[in-house]
Amino acid sequence: MTGSGHSSTCAEIAFADATKQYEGRSQLAVDHLRFAIPPGEICVLIGPSGCGKTTALKMVNRLIAITSGDITIDGQSIQGLEVTQLRRRIGYVFQQIGLFPHMTVQDNIGTVPRLLGWPKQRIRERAGELLELVGLDPATDLRRYPGEFSGGQQQRIGVARAMAVDPPIMLMDEPFGAIDPITRDRLQDDFLRLHREVRKTIIFVTHDIDEAIKMGDRIAIMRDGRLLQLGTADEILARPVDEFVADFVGADRGLKRLRVRTLKDIELEPAGPGDADDRLSVPITSTLRDVLSLMLSEGRGSLPVYEQDPAHPVGIVRLETITATLSPGSKVLSA
Amino acid sequence: MSIGLPIAAAAPVIPKFGHASECVVANHQFCGSWFVDNFSSRFLPPLLVHIELTAIAVGVGLPISFAAALLARHYHWFETGFSLFAAFLYTWPALAFFVIMVQITGINRFTAEIALVSYTLLILFRNILTGLQGVPPDAVEAARAMGYTQRQTLLRVELPLALPPIVAGIRIATVTIISVATVAAYIGAGGLGSLIFDAIGTGFKTEFIGAGGLAVLLALAADGLLVGLQRAMTPWARRSIAR
Repeated sequence: MTGSGHSSTCAEIAFADATKQYEGRSQLAVDHLRFAIPPGEICVLIGPSGCGKTTALKMVNRLIAITSGDITIDGQSIQGLEVTQLRRRIGYVFQQIGLFPHMTVQDNIGTVPRLLGWPKQRIRERAGELLELVGLDPATDLRRYPGEFSGGQQQRIGVARAMAVDPPIMLMDEPFGAIDPITRDRLQDDFLRLHREVRKTIIFVTHDIDEAIKMGDRIAIMRDGRLLQLGTADEILARPVDEFVADFVGADRGLKRLRVRTLKDIELEPAGPGDADDRLSVPITSTLRDVLSLMLSEGRGSLPVYEQDPAHPVGIVRLETITATLSPGSKVLSA
Repeated sequence: MSIGLPIAAAAPVIPKFGHASECVVANHQFCGSWFVDNFSSRFLPPLLVHIELTAIAVGVGLPISFAAALLARHYHWFETGFSLFAAFLYTWPALAFFVIMVQITGINRFTAEIALVSYTLLILFRNILTGLQGVPPDAVEAARAMGYTQRQTLLRVELPLALPPIVAGIRIATVTIISVATVAAYIGAGGLGSLIFDAIGTGFKTEFIGAGGLAVLLALAADGLLVGLQRAMTPWARRSIAR
C-alpha cells in the first residue's frame, strides 16, 4: 500500500497461558489464555463485563503487565522488547478515541511517525493518504482540531492515527461502542472494506454479539478470565459449547446464523425457463436472513436466484433448504 | 527592631524639583504635567525594579511549584504536606512576613524575593496540580499506547492540555505579587512601593497616586499580556464545536 518501508505484512499473535492477577485479588482477571490468531485475521474477544476481554487486549501492548505466561508476536515474546518500541508497532484504537485535542488532525495522525523520526514532508503525505482512506477530506481536514469533528469522524481519525506507520497488528477496544447505531454500522462496513485492502492482524473487543458476528473472522467467547469457545460465528451459533455460550449468543442464534450465510453457501435447485420473475428474483449475494424475510412477507415458499441478470435465474431457493441449513446435523461453515 | 512606619507629616512637604507649578505647590490630587516631566527620572526606574521583582518571584515560584505538583501526583502525602506549607506561608500578613524575614536574611532584595516567592507557591501549586489532574485520561492512555515515554507524555500531552489552568494561576500570582511587592519596599526592595512610602512621608499626592496608578496599570498590562499568551498557545481551545 504505502512505501512506508515498515513491515506492511501482518503478524501472528499467540497467547501462551497468558495470565493476569491483580494485586489483592484472588480471582484471575485473565486465566491461562491460550490460543493463536493467524496473520491477517480479525479475532473478536467478547463476553460479559469483567470477563477479562479488555485486560487480555491490553496485555498485548503491555498497557497491562502479564503476571505469568507469555504473549508472542511472530514467535517473539513481547516481554523481550522495549515497551515503547513494542507499542509503536501496534495500532491502538479505543472507545474514548483519545485524540489529542491540542494537536491538529495532521499532528495527531503523525504522532508515531514523529516518534520514529520521519521527515515532515513524509508525515504530511501519509496523514493525507490515511485521511482519504478513512473517508475524510485531507484538503480541509488536516489542519483542523479534533474538537471540530463529530464522534464518528473522530473515531475515523483515531483509526487513521492507529494505522499511521502501517503496523502489522491493531488492537481495537470497543472502537465503535460510543457511536450512534447508524454511524456505527457505516464505520463497521468501512472498516471491513479497509481491512480487505490493508490486511492486518486485529484483536477486536466488543460486548455486542451482533458486532462480533459482523466483524470477526473468528470469535473468542470469554467468561471469568477464561476462554470458553473459539470459532467462526457460524460454528459458535450452530454449536455453542455450553449453556452460557448459548445464552450469550442469544435465543435467536438461528436467525443470526442466517445472517452470516448467503445464497452462495447453500445448494440451489436448478431453475427452469419459466421461473424467471423480475420482481421477486434475489441476488446470489443475499443473506439467508434477507431471503427468508422476503419469503415470509411475500408468502412464497421459493424464490428465483440470479447472479447477473434478474431475468436469467441461476437457481431456485426453497424455504425447506433454508431451514435445513439450521438443523443440528448440517455442516458448519469455516471461514 | 526600631523600624517604625513613617508617619505622614501634618503639612505637605513640597519637593524642590526645579520650578514647582501651581498645582504642585497647592498639592492637588494629581498634577499631570509634573508626573509627565518626572516620569523618566522618578517613576520609570522604580517601575522597572517592580517588574523585575515580580518576574523573579513568579519565575522562581513556577519551577518550584511545578516540581512540587509533579511530586504531589505520585505521593498523596506530599500534596497535603505542601498545600499546608504553602497555605501557611500565604496566610501570613505581608508586612509581618517581611519584618520576620529581615531578622533572618537582612534588609535587602533577596529577603524580599524569598517572601514574594513564598506568596506565589500556593496559587501556582494548586493551579498546576489541578491542570495536570484535569488532563483527559484518554489522551494520556493514547499517548502511552502509542509509545510515548513518560517524559514525552508529560511534555507533549499533559503540559499543553494543562496550560489554561496553569496560565490562570500565573495570572493570579502575577497580579498578587505586583500588589504585594509595593509593601516590600519597606524592607528596601525598591520598586513602586518606595515611591508610595516616600509620598506617605511627604504627603505629596501626585507621587502617591502616580506610583499607585502605575502599579494598577502594570497589573492590568501583565494580566492582558498573559491572556494573549494563553490564547496564542492554545489555538485549539477556541475552535471546538459544541457537541
